[in-house]
Amino acid sequence: MKNAYIWVLWLVNAIIFVLSTRNPIYLFLVLISLFILGNRKTKPQHRKAWFILNLRFLISMILISSLVNGLFTHLGQTKLFHFPSNWLLIGGDITLESLIYGAVNGLIIGSLYLSFNIFNLALSVKQLSRLIPRAFHPIGMTATLALTFFPSIQQRAREIKEAQMIRGNPMKKISDWLPILLPLIVTSLEDAIILSESMTSRGFHAVSNRNQENFSIISLVIGTFLIFSGWILNLFDYPQVISIFLYVVGGSLIIFILLKKGCEFRVTHYHRVSWQKKDIIFCAIFLIAIITQIIFAALYENNFSFTPYPQLSMPSLNIGGFLLSVVPLIPILASNHD
Amino acid sequence: MKNTLTGILTDIFVFLVGLSSLLAPFILPQSRNSEIQSSAFPIVVSLIIILCLAIVFIETQSSVLDNKMIAFLGVLISINAGLRFLENAIPGPAGFSPTFFLIILVGYFFGSRIGFLMGAMTMFVSGLITGGIGPWLPGQMITAGWVGQTASIASFISKKLHFKEKFGEVLVLTFFSAFWGMLYGLIMNLWFWPFLAGGAGSSWSQDASLLENLGKYGAYYLATSVIWDITRSIGNILIMLTMARPFLKVFQRFYLRFSFHFEGSES
Amino acid sequence: MLFPLSQYWRPTMINIEALSFKYPNISQYALENVDCQIEPGTLTLIIGPSGSGKSTFLRCINGLVPHFSGGTISGKIDVFGSDPITDGPETLAANVGFVFQEPEAQFVFDIVEDEIAFSLENMGVPRTEMHARVDDIIERLELSSIRHRSIHEISGGEKQKVAIASVLVTNPKVLLLDEPTSQLDPISANQILKLCVHLKNNSDLTIMISEHRLERLLPYTDKVIEINDEHKLFIGSPEQIIPHLQNVPPVVAIGKKLGLNPLPLTVEGFPDNVINNKKPGAKLVLPVLQETNSEPILEIKHLSAQINQKAILDDISFNLKQSEILVLLGKNGSGKTSLLRSILGLMVSMGEKYFKGQNFTDLPITRILDQIGYLPQNPSDLLFAETILDELKITLKNHGLEKTDQDLIDFLQQFNLAEKSHQYPRDLSVGERQRIALAAITVHDPDIIFLDEPTRGLDYAAKDLLSMLFKDWRDSGKGILLITHDVEFAADLADRVTILEGGKIIFTGSPSAAFSQFPAFQTQTARLFNAFGWILPEQVS
Repeated sequence: MKNAYIWVLWLVNAIIFVLSTRNPIYLFLVLISLFILGNRKTKPQHRKAWFILNLRFLISMILISSLVNGLFTHLGQTKLFHFPSNWLLIGGDITLESLIYGAVNGLIIGSLYLSFNIFNLALSVKQLSRLIPRAFHPIGMTATLALTFFPSIQQRAREIKEAQMIRGNPMKKISDWLPILLPLIVTSLEDAIILSESMTSRGFHAVSNRNQENFSIISLVIGTFLIFSGWILNLFDYPQVISIFLYVVGGSLIIFILLKKGCEFRVTHYHRVSWQKKDIIFCAIFLIAIITQIIFAALYENNFSFTPYPQLSMPSLNIGGFLLSVVPLIPILASNHD
Repeated sequence: MKNTLTGILTDIFVFLVGLSSLLAPFILPQSRNSEIQSSAFPIVVSLIIILCLAIVFIETQSSVLDNKMIAFLGVLISINAGLRFLENAIPGPAGFSPTFFLIILVGYFFGSRIGFLMGAMTMFVSGLITGGIGPWLPGQMITAGWVGQTASIASFISKKLHFKEKFGEVLVLTFFSAFWGMLYGLIMNLWFWPFLAGGAGSSWSQDASLLENLGKYGAYYLATSVIWDITRSIGNILIMLTMARPFLKVFQRFYLRFSFHFEGSES
Repeated sequence: MLFPLSQYWRPTMINIEALSFKYPNISQYALENVDCQIEPGTLTLIIGPSGSGKSTFLRCINGLVPHFSGGTISGKIDVFGSDPITDGPETLAANVGFVFQEPEAQFVFDIVEDEIAFSLENMGVPRTEMHARVDDIIERLELSSIRHRSIHEISGGEKQKVAIASVLVTNPKVLLLDEPTSQLDPISANQILKLCVHLKNNSDLTIMISEHRLERLLPYTDKVIEINDEHKLFIGSPEQIIPHLQNVPPVVAIGKKLGLNPLPLTVEGFPDNVINNKKPGAKLVLPVLQETNSEPILEIKHLSAQINQKAILDDISFNLKQSEILVLLGKNGSGKTSLLRSILGLMVSMGEKYFKGQNFTDLPITRILDQIGYLPQNPSDLLFAETILDELKITLKNHGLEKTDQDLIDFLQQFNLAEKSHQYPRDLSVGERQRIALAAITVHDPDIIFLDEPTRGLDYAAKDLLSMLFKDWRDSGKGILLITHDVEFAADLADRVTILEGGKIIFTGSPSAAFSQFPAFQTQTARLFNAFGWILPEQVS
């Protein structure tokens, strides 16, 4: 699976599921899937370190979030102990339910973090930077240049440090770094002038057609405002239909404008994204998973959800939830070299 | 670096929408009692922030970004992303980060648009390099962008006070970077907060007042982040005081070379 | 074209009329009233000291000047029917390729083939066609072995080759090269120049190149443009221009000295009968190295170093005497720079090091550096202060010393920098920057000076100044260890030569032996008069 778009779909699917379920059993399953997949994606010599690092992060997140929620929230019926109610902010009952609720939050943070971590592992920096839409061609270029220059700037920083050391710089105080940073920045800016000359003389245009800029910007602002208001309305008890309508209108407006902007840059790309048979199958699976989740969410509310309040109970389970919890594991079917 | 009317209006819009998304847990305590929304909260905030970033990017592309500025930013972002690796190597207080230094100076010197881009793209590129692409990234990008953008206000202040090219300029910058050293942590924790203590019926339960929610956030902030933020501020102060002057001179020298435009030939 | 005649009326491809240009905020003209015609398919060589306007002239042809530099321009330029002044460099990009001096700074992507495809991407060439054209150029320039490599891994010469490929991929009609070899070692430089000659002979490209290494190009040059210190242009054939130059290649200097007419421009073109007439009767006896009696100030015994278990230096022993210039020769990767770094303690090494008879093997690096001044390959790494004087004071402060401004200005006299002591180092020319760096590493008066490629990117005048400076230092008793690829420069200075190969010393001896017996390091004079032991034009009689 070298195709970046499939990994994006994989990520979207994982995020939607992790966020829509608060069921600790499903979250556990997702985490196990992610740990297995991540282990596979890490280089063998780094596997142990990767595993320990992420496990430690997960556990500390669970601890912190149950602590924070436990101290601040005093709902729930299984009282463990009681702080005097005149204690500022944390005064009140400490309940098992609020601790569990916090721990579930920790599981969610851990799963999200791990999904993105695997996403970063699976794709090279190059692939990631190519995901920047063409509408942002000039700004994407600054990122590309920064990545291209990164190794040589690190190298030059080492050389300058050495040169200044030979000149007797003791490297002790913050101000001793000035002799390194200043030549580094001056030489790099001199390089930047040559770089931009080189780009210009090879036909690079930063500037697209400027006639309709205001139109594009205003449309983007309107689109964003629509989505923002849809979200705010949804937070209150307005009918969900209004929000969905606002999302769709705003989203289409933004997508339309970005596509239009993208076409203004008449550039082509040397690299093609490969779509092998396997890629198409994976793509279909993740798309189906995503669409299923959206339909379920629209038709039945909270079908995978779980809440410990008011009194702790066993989370309910169903086959759909189990299936969706192992979908993130699917890329393991593709070999690492594909 | 002219600010057009559209530019200023989009800035205000982005600032309001971005900030109110981040502050939503506090300003909307009476929201719907749905727990799913609370865990999805930060992700939705990130998505809205991505849209805000897109607006500023498109606006910047069409106003100030030419070939020279692209190369200039590319190289500076590369240096700045690299400085994040130097954080441990430079002797200084813990949490000390030279990253803001360049962002602030670029915003101060090259104006709000370039400053915003410098901040946002530094976070983006170092995210790419360190494998730190995640839902927290848009929040980091827009906050660092604001750091660079508001540096143009510092520039305005020193101009009004006739501090330009005097020591007063360094003082303004130092104060400014200390201020952002604190504020950055405050805003970034804001994004994370609903994760930790989110959920209707829990920490911002219907009966909880705005003040109480702020109090809880304050307690959490004091317990987890404030030490780091203070050391970051001290680091910013030190690095500004020692290095701002020579760096401003360098930018002064390069400013002209990066901003020449050909106006037409002499007959 | 309505009338076929119109082609007759515009026979030249590049036509420049009454071109004048001033950089912004500078009152002096960078180019004044230039008229010039370049015919299609020709090779034009542009020569002159640095700062004379060679780069400006080339940049006028693709529109970087004035669109990029700003400034005021007047006159007319016509490049194959388009006007760079009105159209700008982005439009000219399809027809005019530009290769820059610095190999690394001009790259946009980090993979070779991506870089080559960049200009096609900007032109919006469809992907299939783009792949075909990239494949074609990679084959033509023989780059297939490195096409997937990172530009950070390939050599300087390969970088310039990639830079040429990435402009040739659009099939331009004009190729402009701005000192493409000044940052390269002689072998890579030769490859690039060979490629230029190949392109001239095998395509209808019009090539304009500014270059200090005339030897390789002169036989194929149709036209020479000399730009002098006063920004005046002299245009003509090589035979017309070269003899009147102030600084000529050694072979021309010999021809002048012997009063030859026509003047030979290359070693191959040097008349054989002149050499044969001079054939000495007796068998050549190379002068034996005059061992000076002075004590060695630096002695290295059995020095070895490794990087990743690979031996970089293998049992190196040598010494450096007072009042001596020891030249260290060797190909790329032979371990020259590693040797300097090991002695300075920047690299872990085994062996013993003595300074004036005292063992300093285990001394901390700061103590070693009190005795040794070291000029790194890139002098810009050193400079950051606001004025030259400040730059010197920083070194003094680092060593815990102090001197008055007047003392420092006197010290700068020998570098020809005294009257510039309050200027910003970065604003000055490459040669001046090099001398500032030298001043900054010697202001604490070390007895030993290490120089790593001090002549890179310098023109003749700047090299002459360095040469005088180093001789002065030698005469004042310092020991100098000089690494260089520039054999003509080294032959003039060396008291003794050591040659490194694969981390081992394979030769130590007299300059006349070194510069005549090793084909890789032969000077032009030695190539002509190998049997005489002459290595410099001055020795020819």
